[in-house]
Amino acid sequence: MEYHNKLPPEGINTTAVHPLKQFFQMIIAAIVLVVLLIAVLQFSGSFLAKRIPFSFETAIVSKVEVPFGDASKHPELTRYLNDLAQRLMANMPIPEGMTVQVHYESEEIFNAFATVGGNLLFYKGLLQEMPNENMLAMVMAHEVSHVLHRDPIAAMGGGVASAIAVLGLTGNAGTGPAGSVLNMAGSLTSVQFTRGMELAADSQALAALYSTYGHVGGAAELFELFSEQRGDSSTALTQWFERFSSTHPLDEDRIERMNNIASEKEWPVNGDITPLPAGFTQWLQAE
Amino acid sequence: MNSVLIQGVGVVILLVLGYIFGRIAEKRHFKRIIKREEACQHLPVIATRYPPTDQPYQQIMVTGNVVIASDYFKGFLAGLINIFGGRVTPFESMLDRARRESILRMKGEAMKLNARYVFNVKFDTTRIATGRLAAMEVLAYGTAMVPVNQANSDAKATTLNAAI
Repeated sequence: MEYHNKLPPEGINTTAVHPLKQFFQMIIAAIVLVVLLIAVLQFSGSFLAKRIPFSFETAIVSKVEVPFGDASKHPELTRYLNDLAQRLMANMPIPEGMTVQVHYESEEIFNAFATVGGNLLFYKGLLQEMPNENMLAMVMAHEVSHVLHRDPIAAMGGGVASAIAVLGLTGNAGTGPAGSVLNMAGSLTSVQFTRGMELAADSQALAALYSTYGHVGGAAELFELFSEQRGDSSTALTQWFERFSSTHPLDEDRIERMNNIASEKEWPVNGDITPLPAGFTQWLQAE
Repeated sequence: MNSVLIQGVGVVILLVLGYIFGRIAEKRHFKRIIKREEACQHLPVIATRYPPTDQPYQQIMVTGNVVIASDYFKGFLAGLINIFGGRVTPFESMLDRARRESILRMKGEAMKLNARYVFNVKFDTTRIATGRLAAMEVLAYGTAMVPVNQANSDAKATTLNAAI
């Protein structure tokens, strides 16, 4: 018998495809897949989270040590802020059993936010810039509206659902990108609302402002103040980028939208300005 | 956020390095393999387990073993293919190299023994690294058939060394 071999033919055991071509096809497909997955989970997570009863949400949050300011250090200010919230809520469609707790933190941060369990936090940095009660009431009504719309729990539900999915995809908890996403989603202070949520809260707040004071003065000025505080980012490109990427709508857009709502409903834009209580500035001085 | 960014840049750098060096290494390896296959084509490697009976042969087991590592780019691409399915092309070429290299090494041993044939050739493969680091071992083994009257000559060994 004759025994012999032929040279192995090329291209039988390998596939002639350029690795880079395959790489880019796959990476684009993977990104689309992940974005779709996150979008679905964000949506369903927030959809389900909104169905958690508010009383249950409050009960859970009350068990967590919330790192918010000490009310006993600033009794007058905390009382005033809570009182303002109550006055506004009396004119809002708050369901039975929904309560709001306003907290104050004497830090120089120009911010206020709503988080789970009906907790609102106002920073000194924001309060000391408030020229009158109307503007402060607009911020307050906006944050109360987030609680009313169940935005904090919805955002957290969506965040946690997608964080768990990312965790499942990458498979490492605690370290790496997945870990930081989970930490971010789990953190009380970094709840991110969507632009839709912000706009809905704006409308709700505007209505509350009108029912409480009889006009919507202070609302547009508030967003002008936001613009100033944020610094001017006036080039067309950066504005476009902000509009595209930011969770909050642009201040200019919000002002325009608010003016439109006010003129549509024939709510006066100007009216008697309610001053802040006499001791307000001193309350803020107290450490 | 910063740590995520740093990790992302690290991944891109590793991908680029893995692609460039992995591609250069693979091309050079294939070139060497083809050259050596031509050089030792005179030694038939046969899969049957029935040896020739035309003359007395000394039967000696010969092995050729290779461990080949993937690069970061191949591993990353294979991970992506894992999501959607399909041919894992980056590993196809890697395993093709490993199989052919192991045959060549086995042939090298057989040629040192002045074998006329290698019979009953088989492959064995093992994954020897886990996690991100993927490395495969491919072992080719067979029975070198060395004609009894030629067993001590080492004329062909020199040709082999020149080829490798």
